[in-house]
Amino acid sequence: MSLPHPATPARDFRGVQRRLGGALRDGLSADGGAPLELRQSLPADPPRLAQAALLEGHAMRAVRVEGEPASGFAAFVDGVQRTRVLGHDQGLPVVHGTVAAVVRVRHNRRFSTWTRGFVVDARVYAPCAWLAPETCAALRDADPRLVDTTRPDAAGELPAPHPLALLDRALSMVKEDREVVEKHVAETWCRVEGEPLFVDGGIQESELVATAPCVAGVVKSHRTLYAEGEGLRTVLGLRRAQRSTVFRVQGSRRTPVASWYLRLRDPAGHDPMWGLVRVEAALLDGESREALTARADRLSRWILAEVSPVALPDARWDRMAYGIYDCERFLRAVC
Amino acid sequence: MSSPYRDDPHASNGPSGASRRDGAPHADEALDARRSTLDAHGTTPLGRIVATERRPNTAFEFHFWTALDAPVGVGTIVRVQGSTPIDGALPQVYGVVTEGFAYTDLQTPLHDVLGFDGSPAGASWHATERAEIRLYTAAVLRQLPEEPLQPVPMGEVFLADDADVAVALRMDGYLQEGSRTAIPVGVYRAGPMESPVYLDADFLVGPEAAHLNISGVSGLATKTSAVEWLLASLFAHFPESRGSVAAVCFNVKGPDLLFLDQPGTLDAQDEALYARLGVPARPFEKVRYFAPYTAKGFSLATLRSHDDLQENVRPLTWGLNEVLQYAEVLLNKDDVDAKADALIDFITERVVNKAFTDPLLRKTYTVTTFAELEEWFKDLLIAIEGRGAGDTWRTHHVATIRKVRNRLVNIALRCQGLVTDGGAVSDLPWGTFEDRTVYVVDVANLEEDAQDLIFARVVSKLREHLERRDLGVRHVVVFVDELNKYAPGDGQETYVRKMLLDISERGRYLGLVLFGAQQFRSQVHRRVVGNAGTALYGRMDADELATPGYAVLSPAVKTKLATLAKGQLMVRHPHFTQPVFVRFPRPAVLTGRAGVERFPQAAEPTVEAAVTRSLRTLDRGVTLAWVQEVTALHEPREVLAARDRTLMARPDDVRAFFRAQFRGRVPTRAAAPSAAPPAAPLRVVPADDPYGF
Repeated sequence: MSLPHPATPARDFRGVQRRLGGALRDGLSADGGAPLELRQSLPADPPRLAQAALLEGHAMRAVRVEGEPASGFAAFVDGVQRTRVLGHDQGLPVVHGTVAAVVRVRHNRRFSTWTRGFVVDARVYAPCAWLAPETCAALRDADPRLVDTTRPDAAGELPAPHPLALLDRALSMVKEDREVVEKHVAETWCRVEGEPLFVDGGIQESELVATAPCVAGVVKSHRTLYAEGEGLRTVLGLRRAQRSTVFRVQGSRRTPVASWYLRLRDPAGHDPMWGLVRVEAALLDGESREALTARADRLSRWILAEVSPVALPDARWDRMAYGIYDCERFLRAVC
Repeated sequence: MSSPYRDDPHASNGPSGASRRDGAPHADEALDARRSTLDAHGTTPLGRIVATERRPNTAFEFHFWTALDAPVGVGTIVRVQGSTPIDGALPQVYGVVTEGFAYTDLQTPLHDVLGFDGSPAGASWHATERAEIRLYTAAVLRQLPEEPLQPVPMGEVFLADDADVAVALRMDGYLQEGSRTAIPVGVYRAGPMESPVYLDADFLVGPEAAHLNISGVSGLATKTSAVEWLLASLFAHFPESRGSVAAVCFNVKGPDLLFLDQPGTLDAQDEALYARLGVPARPFEKVRYFAPYTAKGFSLATLRSHDDLQENVRPLTWGLNEVLQYAEVLLNKDDVDAKADALIDFITERVVNKAFTDPLLRKTYTVTTFAELEEWFKDLLIAIEGRGAGDTWRTHHVATIRKVRNRLVNIALRCQGLVTDGGAVSDLPWGTFEDRTVYVVDVANLEEDAQDLIFARVVSKLREHLERRDLGVRHVVVFVDELNKYAPGDGQETYVRKMLLDISERGRYLGLVLFGAQQFRSQVHRRVVGNAGTALYGRMDADELATPGYAVLSPAVKTKLATLAKGQLMVRHPHFTQPVFVRFPRPAVLTGRAGVERFPQAAEPTVEAAVTRSLRTLDRGVTLAWVQEVTALHEPREVLAARDRTLMARPDDVRAFFRAQFRGRVPTRAAAPSAAPPAAPLRVVPADDPYGF
């Protein structure tokens, strides 16, 4: 996978449209319309509860994070994606996706882009199995790195030629590409800098990142809650500046990490998830329980220090650090 | 996990396209590296042009952003380097910042309150500052190429260096060797840059444009200091090829201009500015002072009366001949109707300086002084009234004659000290004006009538001599402060205002240049300020800035004008398409305030002391004792008249000439006491008898 800058005429949305010319029989979209991310929600896992092994004690409990919030994070990493319909061929959507990720470093309390921490990529996503060969050839001419959205799934099944299903497929693939670029910049940071890094979302996708002691992943969505019964009530009842007991999270084919819930803002008058994040950090070999507790407290204090400035007007501002908001705004500005 | 991007040559590594480095830079180093991106000229870009549909760039205005610590502010001159060639040349645009904006990503102040839980003190510990922008609007000074005139292109923005400033302000045309007509007005400063700014002599003293107007609030050493500095600069840099230049300054208040020949105090910064601008940091070499006498006539009506400073101080006194031509200045329309005007014309043409005979008069008159004029009037009126045959004489009614007599003879009274009954004249050196010399006429202690008369006559004489090319210099700068008073925008038409309008509109063809100053430009006649090719602005009053004359300035420029520090000016000049802010050094002369402290005013002298002081300007051997001896038998009036005649004649042998002015007079002596014994009283009167004799 190569990474031409989207500003390169051949790779950006307009450039690809120009190269396609009349290749799509239903014609090209005038402007691609609004990004698909705004028009339809990304495919998501169903909400569920999961068991997790506790690392800090015998029961899930609320722990007051003591001390003044003072952040030690040197940088923040996040990625964005933007997917737009290039045009249709016999009713089937051909999509242009742009993914980007950035590491923004903090210097004198202001952010700037880490020189090696910005990656952007753009590709065309098309249902090649349902398109005429000459159309596919034209698409490959326009973008040699064309992604086939009709790639068979794990069961070897082709997706149905339903336009919305194909759009869902394209969106998922763009999301995967976005995760790849996010991983790339985070891994580069861990290898080169090694200073504390605030990652937006989980860190288990990359073994390097998941095992780096400098990294804290902060998960804002809670489709999966790692608590049940009384533990769940404890988690949902956390008050501001309280964290949960540290537990272990391990997904399939993923690197295990230490994790805990942390309430960033007072939830009074809001839903139970208000201001609630889940922190992921590396499981360090040979780390004592006391050291783990101290690390969880320290990282929690750091994260609590990131609640100001608020990330408004982002709708997720109650859980979003300003550094992540800055990353997203930077990426939106330059992509 | 290996990354598919690690060695990808296409991977983009920063928004500005900074090159990747093989080493492992620290984040801060990376930032520094990005900031050190160099342009072709070897200077660091400090901003980038931005334009949006709602706020597009035009051919006259553009917008750019900078880093938060960029040395840019209102008045900063920048250069835009375009990236798309026009006719094979990359466009360059020069502009001056007229407005600045700063804002963060905060959408509403309430979000900040939320972020700090309503506690402003909380801001001190938070780890991150909001993203912030410095956005500037600049007015285009010049575009290269000048055609086709296009909107300002996208590109990088650089701080203008010396060469850029010269091009931006179109000074390159008059800075060329061989045709250099540049007069330094100050330095433009921005960050590390310090560039001289020059005025074009052809547009400052003519013939292309001329005149200078300075505005600024009082008390901040702006107006007078700026003029003193600019005159020094003009004298130092006015090209020989353009001829000679002198200045006539009217000192209208206090001791402002009375110590131009005395060195002032300069600090190292001032001296550096003088060196940078190539102007000698020393007082004016040639200064001549002129002041009328006080009403008593003993001493000059000036604060420059210290004995040590009398070398170049001369009295300014005029007689009938000098004044009659300008009687209009002192006589208003109520005084002089058509009939009176006709009589004045008759007297001017037929009586003054001519032998005048009339059957009614006792004798033939040759009127040359006010005293002789009064005698002539008296004789005429007695004769008219005595003959009992009508009330007219040569068509002039006796009432008109009485009125004109009253008004004319009254001039000598109203302008005592300046106008003399006896006709003694001490005047500016018409015909022998010297190059690079300042002539200061001190009118600060005079009544308004006398000030008007001096102003009108001096300017008229300058114009006459310049027209005839016999003044002695080719150009004269006339400095008048308080234009609010002398050329007001409203009110009755006065002779002085007409004179100022005349200079403003026609002076440049003659080499007569007006440097005017006032606190409120809006209150000065618009043709006077409108004809000033160059305008300087010091710190301005906010109320003044709210007047329509300043509507072309942006709010930021107005704010800067309202807060300008001492030594800063905003300059408008025909070559500059936008106003430019400059700094100028303190004048290298003694300020008025320091001058009167160092050279206190002499006490009111006796007649003899005053005469001694006057004569010593001609002959240092004159002593008070000598003057007392020569004048012992004479009335003060005679002594002062002798002094005036001596000063007017400027003889080689001053003492002999002065002595010759007095008629021989035998001194009275007390009778010698008689040798005879005193007569005995007839009877003894008791000491307490008041009636005894």
